Amino acid sequence: MNKIKSLVINESGFTFDPFTGETFTLNETGAVIIRQLREDAPLAEITEELTKTFDVSAGDAYTDILEFRNKLVIYGLLEVSA
Amino acid sequence: MSKLTIGVSGINATSNPGPGIPVAKSLKESDIDCKLVGLSYDVNDPGHYLSHYLDKSYILPYPTNGWDGIYKRLQHIKKDFGLDVIIPCLDAELPLYIKYADELKKIGIETFLPTQKQFELRNKDKLTGFAEKIGAIYPKTWKIYSANELSKIFADHTEVMVKGQYYKAYKVNNLVDATKYFTSIAKEWGFPILIQEVVKGEELNLIGVGDGKGGNLGMVAIKKQTTTDIGKIWSGVTITHDALTKVAEKFVKKTKWRGPFEVECIVDGDKIQLIEINPRFPAWAYFATGVGINLPEQIIKSILKQKPSKINSYPSGKMFIRYTDEIICDITQFSNLVTVGENHVSTN
Repeated sequence: MNKIKSLVINESGFTFDPFTGETFTLNETGAVIIRQLREDAPLAEITEELTKTFDVSAGDAYTDILEFRNKLVIYGLLEVSA
Repeated sequence: MSKLTIGVSGINATSNPGPGIPVAKSLKESDIDCKLVGLSYDVNDPGHYLSHYLDKSYILPYPTNGWDGIYKRLQHIKKDFGLDVIIPCLDAELPLYIKYADELKKIGIETFLPTQKQFELRNKDKLTGFAEKIGAIYPKTWKIYSANELSKIFADHTEVMVKGQYYKAYKVNNLVDATKYFTSIAKEWGFPILIQEVVKGEELNLIGVGDGKGGNLGMVAIKKQTTTDIGKIWSGVTITHDALTKVAEKFVKKTKWRGPFEVECIVDGDKIQLIEINPRFPAWAYFATGVGINLPEQIIKSILKQKPSKINSYPSGKMFIRYTDEIICDITQFSNLVTVGENHVSTN
């Protein structure tokens, strides 16, 4: 199960995992990405959202998304099908 | 009908707190009409002076001196102030209360405790086989009686836990510290000393009460966020962890546990590594009350054969924050305890 869907995230990016009690804070970019991933948005759609919201190129945005998604996988919060 | 009088021990609300005051606080907030009596072994226990929680308190002889002294004292308390139920909250006194529960019942004092057999099943030195039966893993543990055995263990390990049979646990990464804690724990609590492999994961805890028939009267899981130097919770947060809850439910079902308990474990995903199962309320018992699961109240309702309200749902993300406080009282309270071993807390 993708745990990111159970995370409790407030407006300032403070995030609480109700399964483990872990807390962490997301920056603005992270908050946008995680909210999109929770909606099962495809990477292209998240990239477009980032380029619209922040002053960033599509290439950089895509790289950031992949890097952030890998971290979520490492922390056991997200499962990505091969 | 006169008010029910409930005795609670472990009223040492110190930096290493006992569960007694949180239990008393929970009962005060319940809809049970009761008087509360503190049962203590030390005149310096802060509970003696907390009139907002306790109505009276008494000094008892130490459990290490045997049952007779305690039994006589409890008979006196029953005659003097009343005593209908006791919720023992300290590890060292539990074996006595379990052994003599029937004797207490005969004189009109009820308890809500496991049997001796159930109690022994969760002994730290028996958890290896038992953990598997409830869907958990018990880290490799050695029961040792001499410091010489430590060096053999350290030949293969760089880090271990040094633990007492009842109390104390220290993480060490060298033989010198291991020997130091081996000696200090043995001196205070005796043998054996348990040496346990260090396991990785999140430390999660669960409080609950078994109904004695295989079911439970409520459970709450938490994560300790900050702890004191000796690992006592200072702040924590409620969580919902299905795998941990299942292990606790299996524990209660398998043992037909009767009474309060606390499961301490290290969780790695859904892998539950059992550290210990305490046969009593933990000192953070009020946390459960605060989120709607008043377990001491459930115990009293069970004893009174009232239908316990089985509410197992509580919100995750509720925080517990311990804090320090002071009270000012007259020294006569202290002198009452020193001279006659009792203090009428609420009228001083």
